[in-house]
Amino acid sequence: MKNDIIRLTIPSKPDYISVVRLTSSSIASKLGLSIDEIEDIKVSLSEACTNALTRTDEINIKFEIFDDRFVIIVDNVALPEHNEDTLIRESNLGILIMKSLMDEVNFTEKGVEMIKHLKDGNR
Amino acid sequence: MALNILMNFDEINNRWLVEPEGEIDIYTSPELKEELSKALDDKKADIVIDGEKLEYIDSTGLGTLISILKITKENNNKIYITNIKPNIRKLFDITELDKVFVIEE
Repeated sequence: MKNDIIRLTIPSKPDYISVVRLTSSSIASKLGLSIDEIEDIKVSLSEACTNALTRTDEINIKFEIFDDRFVIIVDNVALPEHNEDTLIRESNLGILIMKSLMDEVNFTEKGVEMIKHLKDGNR
Repeated sequence: MALNILMNFDEINNRWLVEPEGEIDIYTSPELKEELSKALDDKKADIVIDGEKLEYIDSTGLGTLISILKITKENNNKIYITNIKPNIRKLFDITELDKVFVIEE
């Protein structure tokens, strides 16, 4: 069974999030995912990184490629507290976007794990 | 890719025409917010955002549009969004912001 791992660490600065987007779309396209699915992954991962920005000095991203699924783990991503703050509102939007676009989104103590299933014949 | 914002005031229809080109994310959305607030300070009017050259928007970009919408609402003005790409339309649908902004095909 395949289990390939790619790791990426960026400084917690907004200007590097576009680098993460490019990296994720390049990996996703290598896996044979459709343009729509690549876009879903790009947007979700970007939201996860935006969420992590204020919580850490560097953002750790782990891409795990299995035969049947593409897993992306981002540390220091958390659900927002209930509040009317602008930042919190955007953070809620971000989480709603992630949950809508990925097949599975699991929050852990460490961060978030997002999964896109790979169909047979994708690769 | 960064963001370029073209802003013009349409004297005939009395509204701002905004053409964002590139990506609106956490890095570029402060710039968009500043440009749009400046425009509204200058002239209170409806805003038309032409999304033809908009490649990407994230939650911070959507948040920026919501905060600008609050200002336009106080002035009894609207924000129209036109020509957006399907991937961006999808985000408006998911967040139900398609009901808050006037989205024109």
